[in-house]
Amino acid sequence: MAPQDISKLIVRTSMKDRAAFDLLYRQTSAKLFGVCLRVLRDRGDAEEALQEVFVKIWMKADRFAVSDLSPISWLVAIARNHAIDRIRARRSPSANIDAALDVADPTPGPEALAVAGGETERIYHCLDELEKDRAAAVRGAYLNGESYAELAERHSVPLNTMRTWLRRSLLKLRECLER
Amino acid sequence: MTLAEDNGPERGGDDLFAAEYVLGVLAADERQIASRRIDAETGFARLVDAWEVHLSPMAAAYPEVEPPASVKPAIDRRLFASAATRAEPSGGLWSSLGFWRGLATAAVAALAIYVAVPFVRPPVVQPQERLVASLAADGSDVKYLVVYDAGRRDVGLSLVSGQRAAGKDFELWMIEGKNAPVSMGVIPAGQTIHMAVTPAVQQKLAQGAVLAVSVEPTGGSQTGQPTGPVVAAGDLKGI
Repeated sequence: MAPQDISKLIVRTSMKDRAAFDLLYRQTSAKLFGVCLRVLRDRGDAEEALQEVFVKIWMKADRFAVSDLSPISWLVAIARNHAIDRIRARRSPSANIDAALDVADPTPGPEALAVAGGETERIYHCLDELEKDRAAAVRGAYLNGESYAELAERHSVPLNTMRTWLRRSLLKLRECLER
Repeated sequence: MTLAEDNGPERGGDDLFAAEYVLGVLAADERQIASRRIDAETGFARLVDAWEVHLSPMAAAYPEVEPPASVKPAIDRRLFASAATRAEPSGGLWSSLGFWRGLATAAVAALAIYVAVPFVRPPVVQPQERLVASLAADGSDVKYLVVYDAGRRDVGLSLVSGQRAAGKDFELWMIEGKNAPVSMGVIPAGQTIHMAVTPAVQQKLAQGAVLAVSVEPTGGSQTGQPTGPVVAAGDLKGI
């Protein structure tokens, strides 16, 4: 489905058009469920999160008009932020560190890269300009929603060091993307 | 020293705080602070949005996974079940979409007549040159009905409900695809008003744009982009 069509569905959803909302769900729920599963790493939890994400989309669809994001990126941002809030609210963060260790390097496969095209190639080119472990930390944080504390433990560096790494990496990344 | 304290006074602190929120590395309490600021501060919300734009290409790595069939009915129950079982007389009519649609249709027809009557010259008026939109948004009682007359480069607006707060103005925006909103001007106060349309805006409107109303300081946005919440939006359609 073309981005303009998803834009229209979001705008119609903001006007409380249930048919548009149903279609929006059909078109985008698989991607958003993929986001929830990757961050939460638990099917039941991800199903619950996906419900909450679409409740939010129904309530906040009007905000899409003031965002610079593409429609699917806007929806993914809602799902990602919600899943990350949910995983932060879990009681025992130590369980997540173990689970994070099992997650393979989250570089997308050639298929995902081909689908996404130029913008994704560009961000991976820019990530390549960073030191290897820092690029891995940026990807791990973004895709898995890992916290500073988890990343610091996994990379065996003090929390403040991890924070400095990532802040500098983010600024370098933006500088490269805006080049 | 917490991360939040560390972020505050430092130069560029908001920009980095927004970046860290988007990256997802903050702790629960810091994310709550960021989330509240997104709702309350337009400037901070824009920083967050800009970082989302920068980092969003990484999301291509998320695979699509079909959720179980039970999820959508559960969403519908959460959103719509309570409304459906609520007793009709106690606000049932006012919260019914059908009612609003009916009202909107009736009001559009009435407005169309109102707009058309002064200019009745049947051979000249071409129906396809007239587009209508019903502007509304969740969480807002502001509703406008819009009739756009391409031939006369005129936008007629009828305020169905809602009011601007003291010291605030409503500004009308045109959004075409994913382009930045283009201001069509501050909406004059009044129940039924008309606004002139520039030729540049006219061309884009003909292709079927979305119209939106935002709350701005008196006199309109100083930045050329919406700075306040969007209180009503809708797309232009042929009658």
